[in-house]
Amino acid sequence: MRLYVFHKTVYRYPDQVSNSFNEMRLHPLSNDLQKCESCLISVLPTTCMREYLDLNGNLVQYFEIPEPHLKLLIEARSTVNTVKRVDFDEFPYGTTMDKLRDIEKNFNCRNYLQSSSYVEITPTVWKEAVDVRGNSNDVFQTAYQIMEFIYLNYEYSNSTTTVDTLSSSIIKKRKGVCQDFAHVAIAMCRSLGIPARYVSGYFFDHTRNRSMRGSEASHAWIEVLINGHGWYGLDPTNNRVVDETYIILGSGRDYRDVAPITGTYFGRLPTSMDVDVSVKKLGN
Amino acid sequence: MNSGQFSNYQTKSFFDEMFYFDEKTVVKPHYEKVYKRLNGLSADELDAKRSQAVSSFLEHGVTFTVYDDSDGIERVFPFDLIPRVIPKAEWVIVEQGLKQRILALNLFLHDIYHQARILKEGIIPKEIVETCPYYRKEIIGFDVPQDIYIHICGSDLIRNEEGTYMVLEDNGRCPSGVSYLLENRAIMKRAFPKTYQSMEVCSVEAYPELLLRTLEHLSPRQSQKPVCVLLSPGVYNSAYFEHTFLARQMGIEIVEGRDLIAIDNYVFMRTTLGLVQVDVIYRRLDDDYIDPLFFKNDSILGVPGLMEAYLKGNVSLANAVGTGLADDKVTYAFVPEMIKFYLGQDPILESVPTYLCWREKDRNYVLENLDKLVVKPANESGGYGMLIGTASTKQERNDFKFRIKENPREYIAQPIISLSRHPTFCDEGVMGRHVDLRPFILYGKDIEIVPGGLTRVALKKDSLVVNSSQGGGSKDTWVLKN
Repeated sequence: MRLYVFHKTVYRYPDQVSNSFNEMRLHPLSNDLQKCESCLISVLPTTCMREYLDLNGNLVQYFEIPEPHLKLLIEARSTVNTVKRVDFDEFPYGTTMDKLRDIEKNFNCRNYLQSSSYVEITPTVWKEAVDVRGNSNDVFQTAYQIMEFIYLNYEYSNSTTTVDTLSSSIIKKRKGVCQDFAHVAIAMCRSLGIPARYVSGYFFDHTRNRSMRGSEASHAWIEVLINGHGWYGLDPTNNRVVDETYIILGSGRDYRDVAPITGTYFGRLPTSMDVDVSVKKLGN
Repeated sequence: MNSGQFSNYQTKSFFDEMFYFDEKTVVKPHYEKVYKRLNGLSADELDAKRSQAVSSFLEHGVTFTVYDDSDGIERVFPFDLIPRVIPKAEWVIVEQGLKQRILALNLFLHDIYHQARILKEGIIPKEIVETCPYYRKEIIGFDVPQDIYIHICGSDLIRNEEGTYMVLEDNGRCPSGVSYLLENRAIMKRAFPKTYQSMEVCSVEAYPELLLRTLEHLSPRQSQKPVCVLLSPGVYNSAYFEHTFLARQMGIEIVEGRDLIAIDNYVFMRTTLGLVQVDVIYRRLDDDYIDPLFFKNDSILGVPGLMEAYLKGNVSLANAVGTGLADDKVTYAFVPEMIKFYLGQDPILESVPTYLCWREKDRNYVLENLDKLVVKPANESGGYGMLIGTASTKQERNDFKFRIKENPREYIAQPIISLSRHPTFCDEGVMGRHVDLRPFILYGKDIEIVPGGLTRVALKKDSLVVNSSQGGGSKDTWVLKN
C-alpha cells in the first residue's frame, strides 16, 4: 500500500523564546515491512537540519534556533510503501511460553524485558497480566489477549493523561490514549517475560466512517517478539494486529526513545501546540 | 520500422523519448500503443485531426502574444499531436524532487526575509542576494500568510543525453502555460479517445480546483468563504488568454488594477452591487507593477495602497512579494546547497552546472569558452536575451563579452545540454525535436502537482529553445497510472 503522511506541528509561545534545541524522530523507517520513498522535513524559523542514527536504529533529525521566536512550525511529508504483513490464516501460533526462557539471555532482548522510563514492572502489573493470560500457553495468544483486554477494559480519553504519565498510574486510572495503552501493554507483556517494544508511527484509517481511534495525531502501538517469527505488531488502541495500513516511524523501549519531537528552549511554556496528521492512500 | 508515419524517423545521437537505439530503433514499451495508433494513420486522417485541433484552439481563443514582432502579435500556440508519455516510475521521482525543491525555495525566501541564516553561515554570498533586482527589502520581517511565498511554481525540466531529468529553472513569479496543458488534454481526448483511455493516463482536470483551494488557503478571513480574484495586467499581456481561462475555470472574477481600490488598508473590488472586500489576489503581474505607491510609480496597472493592506495582513497575494529572488538564475545555482542546508538531504533532481560570471574564476572560463556555452541573463524570462554559443556569430559573441564584463552579476553560463528529443509532426514528416517539461506545483495546505505538465517542443529544426516566444510549440503530457 502506498501511503502519504502529512504531519504538521505548531508550537506557539506567549513571549519570545530562544536557544531552542530539538530532535525529531519523524522519518519513517525502511525495513522488510515498509520502504520510505521520500521524507521531507521542514522547520520554521529556518534552520540548518542535521541527522544521525540513534542506538535503536531510528533516524533522528536535529536542529537549533538560537534567535528569539514566537512560533515553531515543523512539517513532515512522507511517502511510504508498505507490504502486506498479516496473514489471518497464519498467525505465529505455536511458540509456547516456556520457550521464552531461550531468548531471555539474548543481549538484544534485554532492553525489552526490563522496566524503562515509562514502563514499570510491578507486582500489580504482573498480577493483572497473569489473570489476563489465564491458561494460555502460547506467546502470541497471550500477547493478543493482553491487547484485547486493554482495548475492552480501558477507556480512550484525551483528557486524563499527559505525555508524562507512567504505566503504573494508567493501570490505576484505566483511561488514556494510544501512548498509555501501549505502555500498559508493554508492561504486562514484559512482566510475563515476553519481549515487547514501543512503536511510534501512523495508520491509515480505512474504515468507512473513520471509526478508528488515534488517526488524527501520531499513533503508537507495541511489538512483541515471538521466537522464530520475529517482531509482531499489536495495536491495543484499536484491537488490531498491525497490518499494511500502519507506517512505522521508529521503535524503542518506550515513548522516551521514539518521541516524535523533543527539545529544550529558554522561555515560557507554549500557549498551544497544534498537531495535524493526515494519512492518504495513493494510487498503488 | 517499416511503413507508416514513422518510416523515416531517426533518433540520431540524441536521447529519444519514444525510441531506444539498439542497432535498430525500437519503441519503448510505454509508447507502444501510441506508436501503433499513430503509425497506422493515413495522411488524410492526420490532416483531419490536425485541422480539428487548430480550429479548436481558434474557437477557444487559445492564443499568446509575441512582443516585438511586426507581423501581428497574437498567435495560436502551435500544438503537436504526438503525446509525450511518462511512465509512473519516472514521474514518482520527478514529483518528489519537485516537492523537495519548492520546500527548499520557500524556506530560503523565509530565511532571507527573516533571520537570513544561510547568509550568516556563509553558504550563499550575501552580495548575491543584495544585488538581486527582485530582492524586496520592504518585506523583511513580514510574515507572509501561511508562511508560504511561492504558491504557484512552474519549474522547467529537461532531460540530458542520458535521459536524466534536470531542473533548468524555477519560475516562482507568475509562471504561465497551465491553460495550454488543460486545453491540450481536452483536444487529445477528442482526437485519440480510445488510445487515451486504454493507456490509463493520470487526469489533470483537477488543476483549477486545486488552484482555487490553494488561493483560499491564504485567506485572512478563514471564517467565511474567501473572495479570490485574478489580477491581470490586461488584454495586451502575452498570457491574457490564460488569465481569462483560469478565472473562468475557478469561477472567480478577473480584475485589472482599476477594478480594485484600497480603502483604509483593505482592498475592495468594484462590482455592479457595490464594493466587495477581496481576500486573496492571484496576481499575474510582477511585483514592480502591483502598487505604484510602493514600487514603480509610473505604472497604472496596479492598485495604490495594495501593499499597505498586504503588510497589514488584510489581503493575501499569490505569489507573495519578493519571490523573484528565487527566480534569479544566480540563486538557481545555489538551490542544491539550500536543500542540503534546510532539509538536510541531497537534491533528488539534478541541476545544470552553472558558471556565475560574478565569480572571477567562472567569468574567465566563460569569456574563453563562449562558443561552447549558453549565456543567459540572470533575470529575464521567456527565452529573451540568450546567447547559444554554438549557433552564434563572432559579432554576437564579442557583443556578449562586452556585456558580461560590463555587468558580470547579470549573466550566467551553462554547458549546452542536448535536450532529449521527441517525435513531432513537421512539414517533412515525423521528425525528432527537442522538448522540455514544465510541471506546475501548487503549495497551499500541502504541496500538490498535477501529474505531468506542459511539454514544450522546439519546432525549428535543431533548435534548443522551446519558449513559445521563440518558435516553440507544445504537446500533451501523459503520465501513466501504472
